[in-house]
Amino acid sequence: MPDASTAAPSASLLSAQRVSFRYPKQAEQALQDVSLSLARGQSVGLLGPNGSGKTTLINVLIGLRTPQSGAVHHGGERPAVVAWVPQDYAFYPQLTCRENLQFFVAMLDVSPSERDARVDEVIASCVLQEFASKLAKHCSGGVRRRLNIAIALLQKPDVLMLDEPTVGVDPQSRAFLLDQVRELAQQGTAILYATHYMEEVAAVCNQILLLDHGKVLASGDLQTLLQGDAQSGGFANLEALFMHHTHRPLRD
Amino acid sequence: MIRLKQSLHIALKEWRLLWRNPHGLAVLFLMPAVFILVMSFALKNTLTSANIALPPTGWVLEDANPIAAQWANDWVARNGGERLASREHLQRALRDRRVQAGVIVMPQWLDAQGKPRSDHVELWLSNRVQPAAAGRLRAELSYAMLQVQLKGAAAAAGPFASILLGNASNSELFPASGALTTRYLYEIESDRKMTAVQQSVPAWLIFGMFFVVIPIAGVLIQERNDGTLTRLATFGVRPDAILGGKLLAFMALNWIQLLMMLLVGRWLVPLLGGDTLYLDLPWGWFLLMVLATSAAAVCLALLIAAYTRSFDHAAALGGGANVVLGAIAGIMVPRNLMPAGMQTVSEWSPMGWALDGMQAVFLGAPDAAQVVPKASLLLGFGLLCLALSWRAIRHQERAS
Repeated sequence: MPDASTAAPSASLLSAQRVSFRYPKQAEQALQDVSLSLARGQSVGLLGPNGSGKTTLINVLIGLRTPQSGAVHHGGERPAVVAWVPQDYAFYPQLTCRENLQFFVAMLDVSPSERDARVDEVIASCVLQEFASKLAKHCSGGVRRRLNIAIALLQKPDVLMLDEPTVGVDPQSRAFLLDQVRELAQQGTAILYATHYMEEVAAVCNQILLLDHGKVLASGDLQTLLQGDAQSGGFANLEALFMHHTHRPLRD
Repeated sequence: MIRLKQSLHIALKEWRLLWRNPHGLAVLFLMPAVFILVMSFALKNTLTSANIALPPTGWVLEDANPIAAQWANDWVARNGGERLASREHLQRALRDRRVQAGVIVMPQWLDAQGKPRSDHVELWLSNRVQPAAAGRLRAELSYAMLQVQLKGAAAAAGPFASILLGNASNSELFPASGALTTRYLYEIESDRKMTAVQQSVPAWLIFGMFFVVIPIAGVLIQERNDGTLTRLATFGVRPDAILGGKLLAFMALNWIQLLMMLLVGRWLVPLLGGDTLYLDLPWGWFLLMVLATSAAAVCLALLIAAYTRSFDHAAALGGGANVVLGAIAGIMVPRNLMPAGMQTVSEWSPMGWALDGMQAVFLGAPDAAQVVPKASLLLGFGLLCLALSWRAIRHQERAS
């Protein structure tokens, strides 16, 4: 299994090499020498306390921020299509689910027939048929989460970045969303999954990247990391590993 | 007792929330203060009887009598203004705002006995002349004509003037000779009577168009706060496309709004007994002014929405700014009621530019010199707002 932080860029769809980023007028660096590689079918759990740099790393990877040093590489013959599922419901509550999908797909450079096909496809894959004609603001939290993911899937992404995609949903919806992410990974989509829920990372991801204060504290194969080393010993679960690296003090 | 205690705590909480909402407080305190200030200056002349200046006046003499020439020359020497060659020259001077009023002394102004006839004098007024100033001008002209008549009577009586004039009745000395004809420039150019609806519709039309800030802020702030702007960026949508889309949509909304207001003026106001809004406008100039006003209004709204943090903030700032801009521009108080200083200030506000251009379109037959500079200022203002909005949105796409 390739290491999440050190895999060669050529083997990956998307990689960050020793990326550093500092916000204007901020003394502390938001990211310091962070490296990450995402290969086809790979699921990387992005963990870290609040303010650790997870969102900044995602912004750098999707091209919204330019790092001051280091670089982001797209592997393969063409640039990887990278889609992002934000933590908030980033769509229009006054539109129906279908209207939202039709609007976002219209932003892509695809033919009208392809647009319709993609909308129907994501409605089916995210099980939104029953809610397609309903205003998004009248849908439950679970449906809105599925719509949030469906919009990203319209891009047919090679790499999908999810930022806490299960906040505020019931166990049924969460189980569905996790199944969906696993299925996407099995189909070859590279996944970067940022969350505070350790059990979700354990269920979905085979790699982890643990960030704090903008630095990589641990990265690599999940099972290997859980086994620990001679100094730390093994960890009972991912939460124990997380607390070992980030310690107990509250962050915000 | 417990309910009273709860109410007190709720009241305390409300005060704390208010204290932490500076925009709400600004609307409550700052906006009325600014409004009072602006309106006090704007209405300064309407409720005072002192120091009403005579408007700059142009004179056209169609009567070759030297008394008429002497009257005009004396007037210009004493009160300023200028002699003009013809009615056409006077019309041009009124349009160009070189003068605010014009006196036309018509042929046979003096009758056979050498008495001046008021109905042979026409008073032309610019559409923006202050009513009080126009009133003083009318009074001064009537007084001046009486002086001419009195001089003539005294000259005819020779050394016995004081006896004759002392015994003569007022009606003998000052026989009624008709009223001074007064016409506004709009009436001269359109051959219609000036009405309140024709004067006020352009003003309220512009005011309404600038309130587009409310729906624009609602959408843009929601898009920014929930990350939709950032998501659009990941779909390859650039800020110029976002702004372009909004510009198109809300300018179209402005045009529908405008159509509704014109229909109200044309059909609803007469139905309720008011004057009819005449719509035989110079359509080319009208469309240019609509386009420029709408662009300025939407771009200003985009700017406010782009730089405010919440809908409440935008509604307070946008609504307050519109009311104050409207007061300065002469929307609430017609410009002709404002003192000269305030009229000058009002010429430097976007709503003022829009009002100048629109009134030129609604109140006469404008030419390029009246419309194009105002439309250009509005479009330039819109472009500046758009550039600043683009900068903010580009930054915000990356800040979610």
